[in-house]
Amino acid sequence: MTSPHEGPQEAPIVPPEPGTIADTFREVLRDIEFTATQGVGDVILIIARDDVPRVLRAAKDNPRLDLKYLRCLLGVDHMDGGLEVVYQLYSFTRRHGVTIKTRLPLDDSRVASAASIWKGADWLERETAEMFGITFEGHPNPVPLLLPEDMTDHHPLRKDNPFAQVEEWQGLRLGDEASKVGHIPAGYESIAGEGGEEDGG
Amino acid sequence: MATELDRELETLDINVNVGPQHPATHGVFRMVLTVSGEKVVDAVPHIGYMHRGAEKLSEGVDYRQGLIFQDRTEYLAQFNAEMCYCQAIERLGGIEVPERAEYIRVILAELNRITSHYMFAGAFATDLGVYGTAFTYAFREREYIQAIFEAVTGDRMMYGYFRPGGVVWDVTDDFKDRVRWVCKQTRVGIDDIDRLLTKNEVFLTRSLDIGCISKDDAIDYGLSGPMLRASGLQFDLRRDEPYSIYDRFEFEIPTGTRGDVYDRYLVRMEEMRQSARIVEQAIEQMPDGPIMPEKAPRRLRLPPGEIYMRTENPRGEYGIYLVSKGGEKPYRLKIRSACLSNLTALKQMVVGHYVADAVVILGSVDIVLGEVDR
Repeated sequence: MTSPHEGPQEAPIVPPEPGTIADTFREVLRDIEFTATQGVGDVILIIARDDVPRVLRAAKDNPRLDLKYLRCLLGVDHMDGGLEVVYQLYSFTRRHGVTIKTRLPLDDSRVASAASIWKGADWLERETAEMFGITFEGHPNPVPLLLPEDMTDHHPLRKDNPFAQVEEWQGLRLGDEASKVGHIPAGYESIAGEGGEEDGG
Repeated sequence: MATELDRELETLDINVNVGPQHPATHGVFRMVLTVSGEKVVDAVPHIGYMHRGAEKLSEGVDYRQGLIFQDRTEYLAQFNAEMCYCQAIERLGGIEVPERAEYIRVILAELNRITSHYMFAGAFATDLGVYGTAFTYAFREREYIQAIFEAVTGDRMMYGYFRPGGVVWDVTDDFKDRVRWVCKQTRVGIDDIDRLLTKNEVFLTRSLDIGCISKDDAIDYGLSGPMLRASGLQFDLRRDEPYSIYDRFEFEIPTGTRGDVYDRYLVRMEEMRQSARIVEQAIEQMPDGPIMPEKAPRRLRLPPGEIYMRTENPRGEYGIYLVSKGGEKPYRLKIRSACLSNLTALKQMVVGHYVADAVVILGSVDIVLGEVDR
């Protein structure tokens, strides 16, 4: 959640320097189109959803890329921008890493599973699936990992899944008005209870 | 004759539930073992009992408030977790950290690695059946370091001492002397545990060639830290992707050859010595000066962007994937848990071993359920 007075901003796309891993990807996968951008650390590749299995397979098996280590797999909810799946890869032999991202539309959030490519992807995909409602097609064991089995009606890390009131209150930045003793933010009267005014919050 | 006996003793596979509250599971962890007699034929771990939604909660608070969730996530190596969180924010925001703060952070993080490994040594020996003695020895030594943490931060467990940009207040006046002494004491303490365990008959019988995992499998499962190094890959983020000021220190990276439970123990023991070495170098180099950047903004806003910051924690690669869309709060904060990835290999490690060995193997993973479930 961003502060209320300004809308979310996207990072600009900065093309990476020549000779980075993005060029190696271009040479290895000539017919696949992707956008490359230089992140703060790693080079980020943004690929189409349908290319995911081919790109990931090539990333692991191609000796020039040799990205045998799946560091991390996660989801990001961009609200109107759809859901994003992010793969963090690393190669111990070539000593290079890359971030691969793909966007899925909210109403059709399916992507091919990487569990057959990296064994470590199994649990990470299960967690991402339950937290964001993403379907990983071809996953060998698509059951929840951290959440209860019967919690299928909502996905906690989606942006449309609200905080509990008390959590929202904890994160409120209290302005000048709020620093007055006994102030209760609008809408929180019921939580603060009747003693709120006297206790001074 | 033999075939007749076999027929009479036909066995049935049964499911044995271990946990979620059990002394051998190091927290709230449950696994269902399918056993044929005493041999494990299948293992299904169940996690999530301690899921508190640290990632979601971080989205609701600003960058400084969010630090406390790191302590509560990785509650045996809090400084290391705080360091990763602060580094992610600093790199994304381009915040310069003063020299003195960097040294304080590295010293505390390395001491924290030692306390965490002490905890491992004590608990692991208990799992193995060397009950009591090693545990009390390890905890006595751990307490010396814990006392320093308490003096510096005012808390025994949830330190909340680092800040994006530096540390919250300066260390105590006697910090250098105490750290010098504790480094010396740590070497004595490790030698004590070494003499007690490393060539202990019970210890060796229970840990050699148990729960082996090959180098290729370790990489495929995404193992990291001592688990990966015990399998024979010499990789340490402090050396291979240096962050903070780790490139200024000399230290070795111990690796194993067999990838079994015993190797994981040996790697951790040697790591403690190396951490003491780093602390000794750092305490001599530590300069005076400010501990927070001058003109630190009162409200911390990060430019839009994303970063995957990773640090070498006692249990492996701890990562923070931070997405900012401007503003004072993280848009998304993912915690890459080393333990979670290390646990994925549990099934492969325990299948084929005895039930009693499953407990030992679980102990060798050195799980912290707070980090697994987040």
